[in-house]
Amino acid sequence: MENNRLVQANGVTVRAGDQALIYNVDFHIDTNEIVGIAGESGSGKSMLTKVILNILPKDCRQTDGEVVVLGQRMNGLTNQAKDKLITSGLGLVPQNTVVYLHPLIKIQSQMIDGYIHRKLGSKKEAIEKASGLLKEVGIDDPKRVLNSYPAQLSGGMRQRVNIAMALMSDPKLLIADEPTTALDCVVQQQVLDLFVQLNQTRHVAIIMISHNLDLLRAYCSRVYVMYAGRIVESGNADAVFNDPKHPYTKALLSLIPGLEVDKTKPLAELPGMVPEKDRDRTSCIFAPRCPKAADACGQTIQPVDDNDRYILCPFADSKPKEVA
Amino acid sequence: MTRFVLKRLVSAIVVMFFVSMITFIVLKAIPGNPAELVLGTEASPQQLALLEESMGLNEPLLVQYLNWIGGLFTGNWGQSYVFGEDVLTLIVQRLPVTFSITIFSMVISIAISLILGILSALHPHGIIDSISRTIVQIASSVPAFWSGMILLIVFASMLNLFPVSGYVSIDRGFLYFINSITLPSICMAIGECGILIRQFRSSMLSALNQDYMIASKVKGLPYWMRVVKYALRSALITPITVIGNQFAKLFGGTVIVENIFALPGIGRLLLTSVERRDIQLLQGIVIFICFMVVLVNFITEVVVMMVNPMIRLGLEGERE
Ligand SMILES: Nc1ncnc2c1ncn2[C@@H]1O[C@H](COP(=O)(O)OP(=O)(O)OP(=O)(O)O)[C@@H](O)[C@H]1O
Ligand SMILES: [Mg+2]
Repeated sequence: MENNRLVQANGVTVRAGDQALIYNVDFHIDTNEIVGIAGESGSGKSMLTKVILNILPKDCRQTDGEVVVLGQRMNGLTNQAKDKLITSGLGLVPQNTVVYLHPLIKIQSQMIDGYIHRKLGSKKEAIEKASGLLKEVGIDDPKRVLNSYPAQLSGGMRQRVNIAMALMSDPKLLIADEPTTALDCVVQQQVLDLFVQLNQTRHVAIIMISHNLDLLRAYCSRVYVMYAGRIVESGNADAVFNDPKHPYTKALLSLIPGLEVDKTKPLAELPGMVPEKDRDRTSCIFAPRCPKAADACGQTIQPVDDNDRYILCPFADSKPKEVA
Repeated sequence: MTRFVLKRLVSAIVVMFFVSMITFIVLKAIPGNPAELVLGTEASPQQLALLEESMGLNEPLLVQYLNWIGGLFTGNWGQSYVFGEDVLTLIVQRLPVTFSITIFSMVISIAISLILGILSALHPHGIIDSISRTIVQIASSVPAFWSGMILLIVFASMLNLFPVSGYVSIDRGFLYFINSITLPSICMAIGECGILIRQFRSSMLSALNQDYMIASKVKGLPYWMRVVKYALRSALITPITVIGNQFAKLFGGTVIVENIFALPGIGRLLLTSVERRDIQLLQGIVIFICFMVVLVNFITEVVVMMVNPMIRLGLEGERE
């Protein structure tokens, strides 16, 4: 394994009871990368980040595969050891800015408590670090913000605070699960620019989850496309977006949603919904909705996997489109 | 913040005004002449007329009401004919008894409910959860007079651990005092546990499901700190209101317990005044209990406001 690999997931399956939520997922991210994860609602994007961060909901378990964080296998570690490893290198930026911060605790206390508990420094150092970080994420008056309760801040401010809070442990990787959906357009743009800035100045890698393909296209070097708990296609962002191979990716791209996307609605031109059941089948999971479905789709699918390009479709080949 | 307090204060005063009026009217509507009750049926009409005059019973109702209210403020709550004493003095004498068992039963019920409720929320459907579920069911279905009897039989008669009846005031020794109020307090606490356990459990469960619990985990805080600093803080707020209401309910509900355990408290005084038709005394007690209830509710609301920065800072609700 390469030294600059931050997170690697090999064949990870998460189930709730018998039902697979994500199945046989391979994923990795290296230092300094910005990697996108795309896919319809319910396709398991958040679940993937939750396995990585060891924050699976109570009723969900990782049943197969392994996650390697900063070169350490998580399987077999105690929960405490996992948490320690994760906190030391990974930070989370949430989708919902309203309740991610505790409404009854001042920002300062929430920003510094982990830092102090983990003995990274004294309280004074913690406060200094917190105000420095707040400045860095574009907050002009850190003193006031540190002394505020979350409800006294706007959504955009809260998201900046969340980002600063995640940076308190100087993580090598930020996991941003739809970090801008709760924000209005202008603030969305500012927050995204902030991510890029952090990536450039701190060399922090970013996993960016979004429904918005435009956004991923603009910011990511590599992307994963998820469907019904599977990675159906992944690769270099330019390659995937300019030359999609999997019918699902093609369908997604043919109807790039605007910024205001209704998550509850199925894709307009793609009849049907993301299946909840039998996500762990070896035949093609997308076949029922696929315009090109054929007999081969009912057999076990052998993914195309080379040159950093992965396509889970029997009819795909990884060769670039021939330019006529 | 001051505006909030003022608003609550005004509404408390309005409530007190209506309560006093209703009390007055209802007690006036009770058949029977208070003067006659005092003198008995043997009294001559002249004596009766004299007493009616001195009790102000010939005045128009409004004047009588205003006199009564005025008296309440100046400490003249009228005379109890049964005891031949000032009503306020009688109430104040009995206050420590009722207060003690109310407070002690709250301490007991909150302590038990807090522990059981929180632990059941931390391990839903675990052993403690099942036990506390059973306790909830029993506690909320057993009437106080019955559990009081059982407690008396088991702990006082059979085991001889506590006195069967009576109250020992605190200046005769703290342990004797506690000993004398333990059984009645437990008896009252049982009923309250049913409600409180469920309340603590559900508010803790909902706190544990919030995203800030994920935040605190990702930050690297250990389990106990996440539970204590993040979950408990939210989980304790909702029950404060309930606890305030409990106090009001318990305070007004001491009648049964004080009679089972023969404690000379306000509940017992109330019963005597009803049995003997001591209208002045009855009026005084009712208005006093109402006052306590309104006061406690007011305090509860202010406390809830103080612990909740959203309200304290005038940020009602959350943005977005
Ligand atoms: N606690 C849970 N128990 C059981 N199933 C769950 C639980 N949470 C999520 N799921 C299921 O897991 C699947 C993946 O959900 P996930 O939240 O990862 O989707 P997502 O791709 O992040 O969607 P969105 O874009 O809406 O955030 C969904 O089918 C969902 O119904
Ligand atoms: Mg999600």
